[in-house]
Amino acid sequence: MAASAADVRSILSLPEPSATPGPSQLKKQAAPSARKPEGISRELYSLIGPSAPSLAALTKPRLKQKPNLGGGAKIKWECRTFKNNARQDSLQLRHWVKATTEEETEYPFAKYNVQSNVFTYSQDEYTRFLEDKEWTKEETDYLFQLARDYDVRWYVMYDRYDFPGGVPRSIDDLKERYYSVCRKLVRNRPWAGDETSKAQLIQSYHFDKERELTRKKYIVSLENRTPEQIAEEEALFIEIKRLEQNERRFKREREELLRTIAGIESGLPDIVEDEGLMNLSIDTKKKNKRSSTIMDLDSPSTPAIPATPVVKRPQTAKNAAFDAANCIIRTDPPATVPVTKAAHQPAHLRSYKLPVPKAAVAPKITAALAELGISHTRLVMPTRDNIMALEALVEATTTLVETKRMVDKVEYDIRILKSRLGMRESQGAEGQPAATDAMDVDEGNDGGEVVGEDGRAQSVVSTRSRKPARRSMSISSVDTSGTATTRAGTKRQKRG
Amino acid sequence: MVQYGGDEVSALVVDIGSSSLRAGYAGDDTPKSIIPTTYGYHRAEGDEAMDVEGGDATQAPKRVKMYIGQNGPSMWRAGMETANPMVDGLIDDFAAIPPLIEHALVDVMRCTPSEHPILVTEPPWNTPANRERMAEIMFEEFQVPAFYIANTGVLNAFAAGKGTALVIDVGKSMASVTPVVDGFVLRKGLSYSPLPKLVQAHARHILVTPTPMRRGIELLPHQLIANKTPVDLNAPPRFTLREERLAGTTESWRQWAEAREVDEWIQSVAGVLEQGWNDQLAAQRPPKPYEFPTGYNTYFGGERLSVGEQFFYHPQALVASNPNLPKHLPALISDTLRSCDAELRQVLSSNVVVTGGGTLFAGFVDRLSAELTRSFPHAKIHAPGNPIERRYGGWLGGSILASLGTFHQLWISKEEWQEHGKAIVGQRCK
Repeated sequence: MAASAADVRSILSLPEPSATPGPSQLKKQAAPSARKPEGISRELYSLIGPSAPSLAALTKPRLKQKPNLGGGAKIKWECRTFKNNARQDSLQLRHWVKATTEEETEYPFAKYNVQSNVFTYSQDEYTRFLEDKEWTKEETDYLFQLARDYDVRWYVMYDRYDFPGGVPRSIDDLKERYYSVCRKLVRNRPWAGDETSKAQLIQSYHFDKERELTRKKYIVSLENRTPEQIAEEEALFIEIKRLEQNERRFKREREELLRTIAGIESGLPDIVEDEGLMNLSIDTKKKNKRSSTIMDLDSPSTPAIPATPVVKRPQTAKNAAFDAANCIIRTDPPATVPVTKAAHQPAHLRSYKLPVPKAAVAPKITAALAELGISHTRLVMPTRDNIMALEALVEATTTLVETKRMVDKVEYDIRILKSRLGMRESQGAEGQPAATDAMDVDEGNDGGEVVGEDGRAQSVVSTRSRKPARRSMSISSVDTSGTATTRAGTKRQKRG
Repeated sequence: MVQYGGDEVSALVVDIGSSSLRAGYAGDDTPKSIIPTTYGYHRAEGDEAMDVEGGDATQAPKRVKMYIGQNGPSMWRAGMETANPMVDGLIDDFAAIPPLIEHALVDVMRCTPSEHPILVTEPPWNTPANRERMAEIMFEEFQVPAFYIANTGVLNAFAAGKGTALVIDVGKSMASVTPVVDGFVLRKGLSYSPLPKLVQAHARHILVTPTPMRRGIELLPHQLIANKTPVDLNAPPRFTLREERLAGTTESWRQWAEAREVDEWIQSVAGVLEQGWNDQLAAQRPPKPYEFPTGYNTYFGGERLSVGEQFFYHPQALVASNPNLPKHLPALISDTLRSCDAELRQVLSSNVVVTGGGTLFAGFVDRLSAELTRSFPHAKIHAPGNPIERRYGGWLGGSILASLGTFHQLWISKEEWQEHGKAIVGQRCK
């Protein structure tokens, strides 16, 4: 029982559509879809309409092709006899082939009949080159025949080797004889190609019986290990790995230490990586070689103790002369950084290498330099010497600023301690309760200091204002050399 | 076609074993005809009519009538003897071979041997005289256009998809360990022994020897039993013999039938412990019930597990008392590997192929892998799970080999046979 559109309308009491009857509506929909270009989805086409860009029509989605299994047309097969060219006789076997294949095609599997090219030699050649007191010609012939029969598969040849009246021979005896004969034949026969290819061919027939025997002995000894020995070996291996890891960790820690301590104190940027520890894992032969090269290059005293940092001086006198003549200045790569790709420095302008002060003290340094009329962010002529000078300047300024800060701190501490001392003295003299008077004394002391000690102490209080700060700096710069120790001293005290 | 290297020339593959003869088309995965190698025959008495009936053929002068195939030895006939042409895996009685092959090819497969090249298999210890005789039978009696004889060791390796393998083949009468390298058997490394026979003898001994628990079991085949009534566990059986048949039952048929009963029992009940013999473990295993054709039924506990132990371990006393005791499998394997090059041992022990119907023995492969990994920690065993593939691995390898396009240059054609004679067999089939 099917309800028509009219029935539905009557049920829902909808007005009968007069202008567009059902069939024509369908037609209207069908008409544009017929023009719909291939490769556009129906929804997209209804949205963009016939004004579809031609590009969309071009990019027709390419789905994976259905495999052609030849299921379409009927294929006729025929049972035909065929001739196998790999056979010497005239045996004709039958197999099924497509009727479309040609009658007289060569058997496709005949080409896999590859013959091994084993040498042959004449009686004359044998008497001239191949005589051997261990081998008769008959036995050599037999060996070569076996090699031909079994395509030089040594294990099989050895298994089948049974020369009547011959002495028992090992597989290595057979190999040695075979390869020596081959080598002699190649060497003594006229050679069409060049010498290198001949040498290569001779090399390919190389056989070292002694080495082969020791190798086999080694394999046997490996096989004959008892389970305990294997377990011990494995334990030792793990132990070695662990030691190596430890060494590496020590090395890393020491490096860090060197970078922090040696880098600052000695001011030597080039610290050679210590190779002694690295080489522990590598075999001794290599290690010796490595250390000897270091001995040649460096001063003789350095490599013996791996803990001391080594300054690299790889330049010879000749190189130095050349460099000087051509104004070449060589910079060593920073050795503290591990030699990786990331550490590689590409070619660059020297202006990129302008020294940057530490972020904490940067504003103060900028101010101090500005006072001298120098901008450290830009150099008119950033030559190597200029940059080095600027670097020294910035460094000195940094030290200066830091020293000044230290001095201020120490002075502040002194002041406080003094005031406490004064407070205690006044307590002792007057015998009054301390609660309120201490404050007073403090205040008085403070005020006295400000008055008596000029702008130096003031700068501590009002460090924000630039002028006194600058002044104080210029004063303290007189005794920079002395401050370093005091600074370190106070710091330690504070921490302790 | 060329990509897969296959080119079928409708060759036939014939694989003759001690228990069954398998024949089929090269390229198939299962032999089309599997018939028992054992056949029944009547001794010549005067001149009986040589009518060919069913699958029977008459060839040998001594045997008047041969009963071959599924209805051959298993059917009781008055005065019928049974015989098996195989001795220790080798064909001993060539007179019976042509009828057997003809039955398999003509009567079962319904094909004409003279139209198909035939590939025959041989055990690795086959003698040159034997293979030449086989070629002679094929060319002279079956008039085949081409012939090849291939080694079962190699074929089993091929069936497992390997060119180099250590093939452990346990059949009905022989167990062998064959090293195969690059498709060639290393004859110096080959070792084999009639171990399955010892296992069967042991099982038989267990069954017929009376124990405190039970009397000796009568191994009567169902062909000799007229009727029986169900009895309780361990109760003496109640059955009536076919008295009229007893007189006509020959000794050889009786032996064959009893051996079959023992085999049935081995296949359904016997097993082996996976990790070596252990009285406690053996006692923990559940006993298995078994009912004999007489109706006698009982449970078999630890003794059923001692049967499989014969494959892997022989107690000192047994070895001392029996100097001709066949070597057990671990001894065969270590013999083989010891005679191989040190370099080969690794390769072989990691490519072990287990094949043959005897290896379907319950727990066999697990125990073998336990024994192997004890001495070769990297040993890897390939044992097909499909029983058809396991039992007929040699045939399957032959089927693969004879359907390869590159193999067709190796066939010994009739022309070559006529030209070179027997020498060509040894030359071609290396």
